[in-house]
Amino acid sequence: MNKTKREPFNLRNFVLSYGFQIVLALLFIFYAVSTENFLTPSNLINILHAAAPTMILASGLALVIMTGKLDISIGSIIFLTTAIGGTLMTRAGVSPWIAIPLMVMIGAVCGALNGFIVTVLRVNPFITTMGTMFILRGAALFVSEGLLVSIPDFMKKFGNAKVGPVFVDILIAFVFLALMHIFHTRTKFGRQVMAVGNGEEVATRLGVRTKRVVFTTFVLSGLFASLGGILSMSQLGGVSLHMGVGLEFTGIAVAVIGGISLFGGEGSYTGLALGALTLVIIENGLVHVGASPYIYPLVRGGIIFIAMYADSLKARVQARGRIETIEQAPAAAD
Amino acid sequence: MAEPYLRMVGIQKSFPGVQALKGVDFEAFAGEALALIGANGAGKSTLMNVLGGVIQPDAGQILIAGQPVEIHDPLQAAAHGIAFVHQEMAILRTLTIAENLYITSFPTRNGLIDFEQANRLSSSVLARLGHDFPPETRMRDLSPGDQQIVEIARALLGEPRLIIFDEPTSSLTSREKARLFEVIRSLKKEGVTVIYITHLLDEVFGICERAVVLRNGETVGGGMLSQLTYAEIVRLMIGTADVSSYFRHRTAQIGDIILKVSGLNQKGVLSEISFELRKGEVLGLWGLMGSGRTELSRAIIGLDPIDSGSIEIRANGSLKPIQPRQAKKWIGMVTENRREEGLLLPKSVKTNISLANLPALISRVWPLVDNKKETQEARTYVDRLKIMISSLEQPVETLSGGNQQKVVVGRWLQRNPVIYIMDEPTRGLDVGAKAEIRTVILELADAGAAVILVSSDIDQIMSMSDRYLVMNRGRITQELPASASKDELIAAAAGGQ
Repeated sequence: MNKTKREPFNLRNFVLSYGFQIVLALLFIFYAVSTENFLTPSNLINILHAAAPTMILASGLALVIMTGKLDISIGSIIFLTTAIGGTLMTRAGVSPWIAIPLMVMIGAVCGALNGFIVTVLRVNPFITTMGTMFILRGAALFVSEGLLVSIPDFMKKFGNAKVGPVFVDILIAFVFLALMHIFHTRTKFGRQVMAVGNGEEVATRLGVRTKRVVFTTFVLSGLFASLGGILSMSQLGGVSLHMGVGLEFTGIAVAVIGGISLFGGEGSYTGLALGALTLVIIENGLVHVGASPYIYPLVRGGIIFIAMYADSLKARVQARGRIETIEQAPAAAD
Repeated sequence: MAEPYLRMVGIQKSFPGVQALKGVDFEAFAGEALALIGANGAGKSTLMNVLGGVIQPDAGQILIAGQPVEIHDPLQAAAHGIAFVHQEMAILRTLTIAENLYITSFPTRNGLIDFEQANRLSSSVLARLGHDFPPETRMRDLSPGDQQIVEIARALLGEPRLIIFDEPTSSLTSREKARLFEVIRSLKKEGVTVIYITHLLDEVFGICERAVVLRNGETVGGGMLSQLTYAEIVRLMIGTADVSSYFRHRTAQIGDIILKVSGLNQKGVLSEISFELRKGEVLGLWGLMGSGRTELSRAIIGLDPIDSGSIEIRANGSLKPIQPRQAKKWIGMVTENRREEGLLLPKSVKTNISLANLPALISRVWPLVDNKKETQEARTYVDRLKIMISSLEQPVETLSGGNQQKVVVGRWLQRNPVIYIMDEPTRGLDVGAKAEIRTVILELADAGAAVILVSSDIDQIMSMSDRYLVMNRGRITQELPASASKDELIAAAAGGQ
């Protein structure tokens, strides 16, 4: 008896699961057909180049989201770590071999601060990271003294360095995502992150050390944010006062577009990569069709909204599916 | 019989405002299935939570195989060979079966999870329970019954010597139940002690050899089930209350037609439903699961749209057609899903009772809720329905199921609807609470309300109904008088299939 039934193909579920991939494919075709320079090798590499820092800086945040929580401080963490790193390297002449590990460590400490406030002081994660978002940005402005911080020349070169035709940071991002994928699917911690996302109380009852897991995801969120920030800084060639502004929301958007549910317990790193690509492709394509730069935020906001709506729709449909099975179950008894 | 495997001596436990366990002595032997019976709130779950390390007793001693043991948390309980299958399932819906089983104890190779091994182990423990679903199946794709099987599989992982099942059959189909009972039998053969918490007496006689009955935190009796009768156990459970009142029939004062449904259709669900409901009447809507009973009640109250047909309600002396949207003005609905549909669990009894009726509780001076009025009203209904609480501020989640259901009823009473739809109002309640809800329903009818009662519990529906409508596949197939026998009802429900 009780063999799991293969569900018959269901268009609604298919659209809900792969909606953004479908949209991505259609967009890709649209841009490829309607513009001359979109579907060129160099433009495709540019797309990956633009997506690389985002993929890394969002990968820790993705873990936080998978536990069903939120971290909106990563933009400020990026600003703070790059401002400190830039200042150390150009103004104090510290070697990058010391400065870069230090930047990553500061990122992790900021994440640990978030994790502490959330798990020990039991403050709502959104409020916690909103607080640290302001505090860390303030600290970064203090460090940079409100000025543009420049970075050493070789870092700028690194930001646009290539192996053959491919940018180095693309390779870094993909190796990194592959490792994260293994970390997420094949380690106990990765699976426990998903367990917590299914419900903290349930996970605790099963013996998962929920608080430790949540704390660690925040540390990793800060750590990976600073890593992504370093790539971003290298590409941009300096640290402006607007460094990292809005990146937390880009990160959340990328995660949600990639199918990582804000309700927790759902998502993958392949999804995250696709989410980052989707966002970059849409904006890159807008450049190629010659759209006004002022509509970019509009489009981006629209995409975020649609992604969130699809997420909540998916959650509702799945909840309804559950109720249907419950009602059917006793019926079989009669 | 030999020395008991488990002895609990003089276990006491108080919660704020109530002494849940008043020095309970309890014994269980290796290889037996012991039924722990009691009304809601009798203390059976508390007692087992003490054994499972979920809560700490105030006094008392636990001995396993003659040795005194200390159990401070569930992990220690597991170390002593005690496994607990909780009533509320701990399910990680988005993860696979194997992940659910091994979330804290994954087998690893080179630091990575060895899913091959985890899946193999999962399959073998599932096979022991007679199931063969692939271990990569996601939990959310399983039926509640299958999810419960996974829960039981998790309990078996640690090779326990004693397993506590807390109401394990509440979400199982009869076939799954049979499967579970087989598992329990084979566990007994292996010498495992099974403690089975339930208030479903039929199951007790089917699977257990011995019973212990708790009431108000004390052991009140028990013994070998072969020497006990159903009635004796019920008497032990509900104490001095008159058992026969549970089966009493009343003489109803039936008045004018108050609800008239004609030609109601909902594509694929309901067809050509027509009936009348009179003042003071309890109308039993009877049929098998899936016959359309719940769908009909939802359609009448406007929760689901109807395709055609009319609903008329007597207002100001004459029957008038109403829009389904407005039905809530006259009809109150109480469902089995007290937790999901009606109640704000962490909130107080007072808040929950007054919630649906706040506009009527507004102070004459300010446009704000008058706290005094709110308290008075809540007190009135708590008294009228005999809801057992320590104070009006007590959170609803700490009440027993029967009392929670009364809070839902109390909420509707204030609105004073002329018609009540009760959809499985007593599901999941114990015998005593069922009797009380029944009394409440009959009092409503005596006071002139009309009640549509939906229930799949034939004894329940027979103990209240003045008339039956039998449903089958979305149609009303038959109407039977109060005098209809059990056999007639069952035949009518099954008929025409």
